[in-house]
Amino acid sequence: MLFNSYLFIFIFLPVTLIGYFFINSKINHTIGKKWLVISSLFFYSYWNISYLPLILSSILVNFYSSRWILAEQRQNRKKMIFLLGLGFNLFLLGYFKYRDFFLDNINFLFSSDINFARLALPLGISFFTLQQIAYLVDAFQGITEKKKMTDYSLFVVFFPQLIAGPIVHYQNVMGQFKNNENKKINLDNLKLGIYIFVLGLFKKVILADTFSGWATEGFDHTDTLHFFQAWGTSLSYTFQLYFDFSGYSDMAIGIGYMFNISLPKNFNSPLQARNIVDFWSRWHITLTQFITSYVFTPLVRSFKEINFRNSMIAMFIAMSISGLWHGAAWTFILYGAIHGLAIIVNHSMKKRKIKLPKTLAWFLAFNFINIGFTLFRATSLSDAWKVYQGMLGLTFFQLPKGIISNSFIKSSGMTLGQHMTNDDNLFLVMLILGFIIVLKQKNTMELMDKFKGSHKDAIITAFMFIFCIFGLTRVSEFIYFNF
Amino acid sequence: MTEVEVLKIQEEIIRDLFDDDSIEVTLSTNADDVDDWDSLSHIQLISKIETHFKVRFALGELQSLKNVGDMTNLILKKLGS
Repeated sequence: MLFNSYLFIFIFLPVTLIGYFFINSKINHTIGKKWLVISSLFFYSYWNISYLPLILSSILVNFYSSRWILAEQRQNRKKMIFLLGLGFNLFLLGYFKYRDFFLDNINFLFSSDINFARLALPLGISFFTLQQIAYLVDAFQGITEKKKMTDYSLFVVFFPQLIAGPIVHYQNVMGQFKNNENKKINLDNLKLGIYIFVLGLFKKVILADTFSGWATEGFDHTDTLHFFQAWGTSLSYTFQLYFDFSGYSDMAIGIGYMFNISLPKNFNSPLQARNIVDFWSRWHITLTQFITSYVFTPLVRSFKEINFRNSMIAMFIAMSISGLWHGAAWTFILYGAIHGLAIIVNHSMKKRKIKLPKTLAWFLAFNFINIGFTLFRATSLSDAWKVYQGMLGLTFFQLPKGIISNSFIKSSGMTLGQHMTNDDNLFLVMLILGFIIVLKQKNTMELMDKFKGSHKDAIITAFMFIFCIFGLTRVSEFIYFNF
Repeated sequence: MTEVEVLKIQEEIIRDLFDDDSIEVTLSTNADDVDDWDSLSHIQLISKIETHFKVRFALGELQSLKNVGDMTNLILKKLGS
């Protein structure tokens, strides 16, 4: 079930919310939590019930492995169970997410012809697996205690963050469920939650879905892109991805607040970053934290000495893994790797105390991010190259129709090219609007701090909500559901 | 060891790492207060602290360290004092 659907907004969410607080007050909180687990599993299965056994077995295996680890006194036995548990998680990911990619590469490399039925990616598998790996590591390192089945399940399946994050830690979320104050409906949190949810809905329905049309046209329906088309296509995707994913995160955080749960922030104006290290501290923050804690740190620690060179090697490997985590394709690995290289360049510059003027630093960072996202969106390396060729002016360079007046074109003796998009005027307006929003406007977290729940806030929220509801006529999934 | 003693050593390590003797370290000092405190220097700091105090932080603990004070508390907890 999508957050941006009538069914979710008008039925699932209100029923789950009212049911939860009603059960908490009339029966007890344990049943309330069970209600949330069952609702969340319903939410998950609504897409495709065939993956319900998968998520349930993932929860069961991880729950019992971590219990066993916590109960086991002998260190080598503990380690063995931990490695088996970790292996199970990596196997699930490997089988459901990377098997096809692996077999494709085998076929290519050995010119073989292994036939296999392609698997549909189980929804949210990358997210719920990552979250549970972190839990398993914490159990192995002795910083978590024995949990109840209901609590553990709720930590994994709590529906706001189940499909695409923010990636949460057990203590982070379940500590809040424990607090007695949070078991009762809180009108301030409810208002704040609705406000953030609507902000996210607006980003998704009005902004991301508009840019998505242009990005899809350029990437999927056009064979050759001229210079302006190529830039229009790549910028459209950058804005689409940002508004789509940060919109999704806002909605998740908003729903969290309705249940009195504060989920960690995931975005902090990433497109304002002035270098790539800065970018990763602002973009998909909870993933960066996970990769830093559970991938980069053990890699660095595996070296005898923590010096600059070793840290950079670890950083590069960690970023490549982060790329591969997004999807089973060379484009994703390359995406992670070039970001790894950019981080190395940034750290080296810092070490040599090289500082760029702020505007230039932003310009370089933004273009790098945009070029990276083109690779991220492309279905193959040649698909990415198609867009890059256009952006570099290697195809053909024509002035777009509609932007410059016909009389100017004629007087200069140039020919008139194709349109950039199906509606160049709207495109330019949206592009300028996009830049203003990402560069000059307060982000969701800043707006949240300013939110007072006044009549004015209510009117703004209601206005945006109505606007979005009319835009909800088409169904569009979130990009990060594919990871 | 007391909180003050641990904090004093943390300050020395931080000054040494960032090569700046003017850094004043308090319990509320965090990465935003010190130029150059990024993911890279953070892991170096953690490693120096681990070596000095002969403690080992769990991976899941690193993320919860929001400022120097959190680190001080964790060190004290691990030292058992």
